[in-house]
Formats: sequence, C-alpha cells, structure tokens
Amino acid sequence: MPRIMGSRELLADVHERDLCIGCGACVDICPYFKNHKGKTAQLFPCTLEQGRCYAYCPKAEVDLDALYQATQGAPYSGSPLGDVRQVLAARAGGQLKTGGFQSGGTVTALLTFALKTGIIDAAALTDHKALIPIPRLVTHWKDVAQYSTSKFMAAPTLSSVNMAARQGYRSIGLVGTPCQMVAAAQMRVNSLGKEAHRVPLSLAVGLFCNWALDTRHLIDVLSQKLDISRITRMDIPPPPANALVVDTENGRVEISFSEIKPLIPHTCFICTDMTAELADVSVGMFEGRPGWNTVIVRSETGGELVERAARQGFIETANFPAENLQHLARAGADKKERALRTLIRRKLINNQGDERAAVRMPQDVIDRILKK
Amino acid sequence: MSIVLTGQKGERHLVMGNEAIARGALEAGVSVAAGYPGTPSSEIIETLAKASTDGHLYVEWSVNEKVAMEVAAAASFAGLRSLCVMKQNGINVGSDFLLHLALTGIRGGMVIVHCDDPGALSSANEGESRHFARMLELPLLEPGDFQEAKDIVKMAFELSEEIRNVVLIRSVTRLSHASGNVVFGDIKPVEKKAHFKHGGSMLDPLEGPMSSLPVPYRHARQQDKLKQAVARFEESSFNTYSGPETPELLVITSSACHLYSQEAVHLLNVADRVGLLKLGTTWPLPPRLVEKYLGMTDRILIVEEVIPFLEENVKVIAAERASNIGPKTFYGKRDGHLPATDEMNPDRVAAAISKILTVDYTPVPEDYAKRAQEVAHLGAPGREMTFCAGCPHRASFWSIHNALQMDARDGFVCGDIGCYSLAVLPTGFNTLKTLHAMGSGVGLASGFGKLAQFGLNQPVLATVGDSTFFHAVLPALVNAAHHQSDITLVVLDNSGTAMTGFQPHPGLPVDAGGHQVPALDIAGICEAIGAEVRVSDPFDIEKTRRTLLELFDIKGLKVLLLKQICALSPEKKSRKMFEVAVDESICLGQECGCNQLCTRIFKCPGLNWDPERQVSRIDEVICVGCGVCASICPSGAIRKKEVASA
Repeated sequence: MPRIMGSRELLADVHERDLCIGCGACVDICPYFKNHKGKTAQLFPCTLEQGRCYAYCPKAEVDLDALYQATQGAPYSGSPLGDVRQVLAARAGGQLKTGGFQSGGTVTALLTFALKTGIIDAAALTDHKALIPIPRLVTHWKDVAQYSTSKFMAAPTLSSVNMAARQGYRSIGLVGTPCQMVAAAQMRVNSLGKEAHRVPLSLAVGLFCNWALDTRHLIDVLSQKLDISRITRMDIPPPPANALVVDTENGRVEISFSEIKPLIPHTCFICTDMTAELADVSVGMFEGRPGWNTVIVRSETGGELVERAARQGFIETANFPAENLQHLARAGADKKERALRTLIRRKLINNQGDERAAVRMPQDVIDRILKK
Repeated sequence: MSIVLTGQKGERHLVMGNEAIARGALEAGVSVAAGYPGTPSSEIIETLAKASTDGHLYVEWSVNEKVAMEVAAAASFAGLRSLCVMKQNGINVGSDFLLHLALTGIRGGMVIVHCDDPGALSSANEGESRHFARMLELPLLEPGDFQEAKDIVKMAFELSEEIRNVVLIRSVTRLSHASGNVVFGDIKPVEKKAHFKHGGSMLDPLEGPMSSLPVPYRHARQQDKLKQAVARFEESSFNTYSGPETPELLVITSSACHLYSQEAVHLLNVADRVGLLKLGTTWPLPPRLVEKYLGMTDRILIVEEVIPFLEENVKVIAAERASNIGPKTFYGKRDGHLPATDEMNPDRVAAAISKILTVDYTPVPEDYAKRAQEVAHLGAPGREMTFCAGCPHRASFWSIHNALQMDARDGFVCGDIGCYSLAVLPTGFNTLKTLHAMGSGVGLASGFGKLAQFGLNQPVLATVGDSTFFHAVLPALVNAAHHQSDITLVVLDNSGTAMTGFQPHPGLPVDAGGHQVPALDIAGICEAIGAEVRVSDPFDIEKTRRTLLELFDIKGLKVLLLKQICALSPEKKSRKMFEVAVDESICLGQECGCNQLCTRIFKCPGLNWDPERQVSRIDEVICVGCGVCASICPSGAIRKKEVASA
C-alpha cells in the first residue's frame, strides 16, 4: 500500500521541494487547491490527515511497483518503454479533416472517435488562452480538433477529470503527459477506497514527453522577444534542430535550446517516464517521418480503440520500423537513467523510516536501470 | 428630538459626556461645528447636527480633521464661534494647520474638542493628544465630570475670545461615552452676521489679514496669550481640592481619573489622610495654585491616563518652587506605581495609594478581566473578533486572499483604518500585512510599487474604505499615479463611515444635517487620475477574484471598486436578500473535498457546525441572507433562494 498523507505533507513533500509540475490532479477535488497560470497553490490550509490531493500526486510517495501491479497486472520492470503490447505508426485518417495537428493528428483522431462512438462521454483536454494552457472538458466530438496543438507547458488538465467526475460523467477520457498518467493511474486505483471518490476514467491517452516548460517563465522570455498574443503555433522539431520554433502572425521566431533549458521545471528531471507508460495508449512524434505518429498500445482498452478507429477510417496505421523502435527505447532508457541518478542525488527515492519519498521502486529495478 | 437639545435651563438630565459637550457648545452660542467621525468623539457632531435645522448653526462632517479645523477657523475669522471635534488621531492630522493657526490667532471663539482613547479600545494607537497643547502652545482644559463637560465648553469659548487663540478641550472614552447628571443652562439663539475683515494692517489682529507672519512677532504674542490664560487658570473654578488641610498624601489628577481617584479614596476609607487636587486647566499649569497644594504635604501621587504629562509638568513647578516648598517625593508613572499604558481604573489607583500609605488592600488579580470574560462567554458561542454576518468585507478579503494565493508571488495588502482593519485577523484571513494611520496603506503601497528595480516581484495591494478614500487616500493615490507605481488599490465601498456609525462622507448624496448634496464618484475620480478602474460586487466572489488576477497582470495603478452596502446599514438591516439553507444530505462536512470550509475558514457567524450530525447549519437568527456562503460551498449543499421584495 502506498503511503497517503494530507495536504500539509503535500506542501512539504512537493511544493517545498519544488517538485510540483501543476498537473491539476489536486485541483477541483476540493476548494483548497487552485491552478493559475500553470502554478498550483493552496488557498487555505486543510487539516485532514489523508487526502486525495496526496493520493493522486505524481510526485509524492508514488510506489511504482504497487501502481503498475494494480493497473497493469505486473510489477514495475523499469524497461525503457514500459509495458508494450504493440507499437505502430499512425496518422489521422480520412474521416478527419487534416491540417492543424502538431504532427500526425492521431491523438485528435482517437479522441474524436472515442467521443463519437460513446467509448467516452467527456474528454479532459488542454486548451490555451494567450499562451497559458488551461484545462478543457469536451463533450462533443466535433470540438476535439480545436485543442489539437502541443502546448509544451505543464497544464492542470487533470482538474477537468476531477470536475467531470463531480459532474457525474461516467466514462471520462484524458489526454496527458507521463506525469499526468501516473496521477490518472492513482485516481483509478482509489487508494482511500471510498466509493464517493471513484473516478470513472475509461480512456487515458498518454503523450511522449521529455520535459515541459514552466508557463510563467516561458511567457516572460517570449514576451521579451515577440507579441505573445500573435502566436499561431509552437514546435520543437526533432534533432538536429536545436530550437523552439514559434510561428506568429508576423513571422517565425526561433529560440535556441540554451535559452529554453533554464525554463524546464526541476521536477521534470526526476521523471523516469518518457512514453507515458501508464496510459492505455501512448502517442508521440515519429522521428524521421513527418506527418506520422508513433503509437504504443499498452492495454486492452487501448488496443481495441486503435483497432476500431483504424477500421472505421479515423486513423491510418502502418508498421513501425525496428530500428526506430530501438532508437526510441534508447531515448527512453537514457531518460530513466538520468532521472534515477537525480532522484538518488536529491534523496527523493526509497527514503526510509519517517522520511517520505517522491518515488519508490524495487532495488533490483534500480540496479538494472543503472546497468549495475 | 433629544432632551439634550430641548431641555430647559435648570433642568437636570442624565446625559452622555459627548452630549454634555454638545449642549455646552449650544449654550455658548456656537455657530459652526465641523469634525471627522472617530470613536469616542462622534456623538458630539451627531448631536449638534440635529440642532442645525433652524438656521442658527452650520454643522458638517468634513472630509478629514485638518479640513474640519480649517472650516472652523474660517468661521472664527469671520467673527463666529466655532467648534471642531475629533478623536486623538485627528489632532495629528490637523496639526500642520493648527501649528500655523496658533501663531495667527482667531477672532470668534474657537474650541477644539479631542477625545482620547486610553487603552486603544477603538483605535490602532494609544496616542496622547495633550502633548499637542504644549507643542503648539495652546491652552488645554480637561473636564473632571459630566457637569464640567458641559460647563467647561462655555469657559473655553470665553477664554478663546479673551486671548484670541484656539482653546483645546481633551476628553477620554470614559467621560465621552459614560453618562452622568447634568444641570442645563440656557440656550439663546444668537443672530450673528459673518464677515471676514481683511483690509487692516498686517499686524492688526481684528481687521488685518490672518496669517502666521511675521513669525517672531506672532510667536511672542502667542506666548503672551498663554500667560493671560495662566492668570485665569490660577482662579479657575475647574481646579478643585477636597480633603484635609495637611494630608499625608496629595493626589493630583484630572479628567476621568478624578472619578477613579475619588472612588479609590472611598474604597480605602482614607478621606482623612488623602487630599485630592483635581485640575481642569492642565496646560499651562497655574504655578501658584500648584505650589500652594504642593506645600501641604511631602508626598504626591499623580494619577492620569497613558504617559506622564501632568506628572512631568507638576515636577517642573516643584523644581522651580523648591526653595519655597522644600523637597517632595513623587509617585506616579515614572517610578512604576501606576502603568504608563492602558486605561486607569479605581483599583489601580487604590493599589497605588495603599502601597504608599501601607494600607491593606487586595487589588483585583491581573487576570481578572480575562476570567470575567470567560465567565461572560459561558453559554455564548466561542468567537474571535469577527466581521458581522453578511459583512461585505469578509467576501472582499476572501477574494483578495484567494487571488493572492493563486497568483503565488507572495503578494500582500497594505491595510488602512476602518472595520476592514480586522483583516489582520483570521476573520479577514490575515490578509493585511501593514496597518497604520488613515491613508498610510496607500502611501506605503505607492512606495512598495516602485521597488521592482530592486527585484521586488510581489503584487502590491492596498485596501481602503470609502470614507478613508476621501479622508487621506487621494494624495497618496495621486503620488502613485504620477510615479507610475505598480499597485492595485481596492476600495471597499460600503456606502458610509460604517465603523463609527454611518456618518456621511463626500461619496454620499447627503450631509451631516440630512440635506441633499452632490455625491462624488470614486471610480470617476480614479479614472481621472489615470488609473485602470474596475467595479465589482464583492458578493460576486468569482468575478472579483478573476478581476483581481487580471489587474495583477497590468502594470501601473489599478483600482478595483468593490461596492456593497454594510450589513448593519439601516437600509439593509431589516431585510434578507436570500433565504439560505444547508442540504444535509449533500454537505460533505469534514470529508475530503470540503473539510468544513464554511465553518472552519469562511467562518461567517451565521454558520454553525453541528458536531453530532457532522454538517454545517445556518443560524437563522444571525444569518442576514447575503448568500455568499452558497458561492463558496464546494458541494452545492448551501442553497440560497431569493426573497421576494415587497
């Protein structure tokens, strides 16, 4: 059983250690936590000894072994891409108007399909308003495409899941980053065991992620270079490109990684997951094949969704070449190793006694990741 | 109409000290009275305002105390008798003008009444206004009971006209707000024509221009006037002595302490051993009179409130007359027989006398007040100092607090003087982080708002009430606008000077006498200064919070006007906007998802926690039906239903 504490401990373990990514898991459960411009803050102290805020948080006492066991039926192995049923290439199919997607449009296509066919009755997506990512609960399939582009910033999307559960939606879909998939998995587990807390999360679509950018810092930096109200699209092209590319109504601006890297929240450096291992299906860029996505099917739900969406023309699929998979796995393993070393250095893993950890995983998994 | 205004000559009535002062001014034929509300002084102007309907008297609540002094001085310059009223802070506010006026002198009699608040029962300071008399070189009178509170006003006007300068009268809470028997004198309506004579020579005090120039000449005249006052004080009937001819101990006292001293002597049964010299003319002290009584005995106890003003002045005379009266032993505040803070009371005086005379006396234990309060609270709900049920300030500070927390840059609010000063406490979610004089919050904010170049990256806010806005905020606001200080001013407009009893101010369409007057528009004034102005209803907590967060992102001077009438205002008090009820089946109580937000944090007195049923409830008797708690309830368990208006 994972250790579950209250909001006092959440502040100490996450906020004071600068680990909060602002995923929104603790927002909209109760009146105490709110997210504004990418930052989550507590409005008033809550005195409860155990709360969902702590139970859901992807940065506080996450027992990976227990979590993988509970959600995927197998212990945490530390393999570079997590539990993989199938990897394939995909892009939005003929049933969806093309254009406006970040790369292949697969996520938009899958969510549109899921809403249209009733697999889900609401989808927690991420919109943005003047560059600030904001959660959006979408209930009509035609609206999904409006929120298709990548935001590159941490977003409190999970607050929409909480809100949807409160409003009585019975099969909720979610698109989110690996950290948000950890929180979503903890929501599904419902460790406090109360029926009133049950979150009917039917579909979790994960996004590949190496790191996010701090919303407020990014706005500060961009505001000095361009009129942020005129941004039309942002992209981080695959290597060898070495910059954040911002398209505006007045033309394109490139901001080099050396300027962008300081804007990465420190908490991203303890994340061991690149490919959203706890999702039903994970989607990322297909490096070397523009206009296509990489898709990792991880659960039965995910597999069924991909298969049906392909059959009905919402997505088009293709084989994913073995050499690309090797390359992806190497990147995944590198991220795991880097993050694990940071966790150890910052004393945030497997803490003993009264000391609380951010993450727990078996020692043999640690040894494997560190190639000991 | 009040007996204070209608009572006939020779009648005896039980009246409040402040009413006695007002009656005294009417008997003295005052023509103009001006003041600014402040506890414990407000009832004087309020009483006079009721008498201002017959055309013989003009009364106003001025925008602040300095302006009140100027308004009163103008009447005096034009040959009328004028009264100016304020609490102790007011003398500070007006002292700049008063320093000059004291040099200039006056024509019609001008009296300033300032009511001190020892113990700071209703103040953010325990200031001593007596020192202004010494600093400004003006005569000071202090009534020692309720009859004197009336009678001393007449004497003050006469003295003022005799020496052609302002006379100060100091009262204290226990004299202003307590009541006693007063025998009335006659009120004769005076027909006076106002005209300001200014055609005479520069130095002509009756017909020349009124100014403090030339200063050395005027200063010397001013000091001559003080000497004239002292000569009168030597013979004044307001200085009284009771007790044996050669007492073992002489108590010198003034003001309400006279009453405490009398009681203490009685309590200890030492009337045959202790003499009581009560002084009504406390600055400058009449030296011959003081010398006479000092000569009676070798031991002197000085009883007064707050700092040792009387004590030090008596000691100066004792030093000057030492060759006549010999060495004396003084007891009082300087040697610790009496405390130099807080209110005095009979017990403290009795304790001091018993110690000096070695009489048996068991003083009231130090924690008596606390214990008495505990007993008084038995059966009453356990409550800290709190905003009233339905107070707009609770809703305003809820939104301000939440906006600052969400902004998460460690922003803060500079507070100001009014009911909303309570927001330093949990009832206002501890939102205020500075609290000083009226208007000072905005001046401080104006300064904080310029510190970005030194790395200050915190939203800076100030909160002021509508009356305070006009009283002292405008200069600081103009300063902030002109220097492009990056601040957000929140004006908590509850349509009146609520804390002191709904006196009108320039933002309202009515004056002290109830006449229709033009109301000034706070939002319009702020816009004219160049501020980014927004208006919201504080009861709309979503909009208010959203507006604040938007304003934090705009650089420069922003103003948010939060308009909602005070819950205690006469127009609101009698009717509820909403019927509010808690649906017990939905209330989450202490469950994760709520944890008693309404009764643990919001804490409106209209909400109660039912520990047995583990739900919140509405206290029908206290709830005023503002409906704000329905907006904060996370589960929708608190429901409001609009009450049909007649």
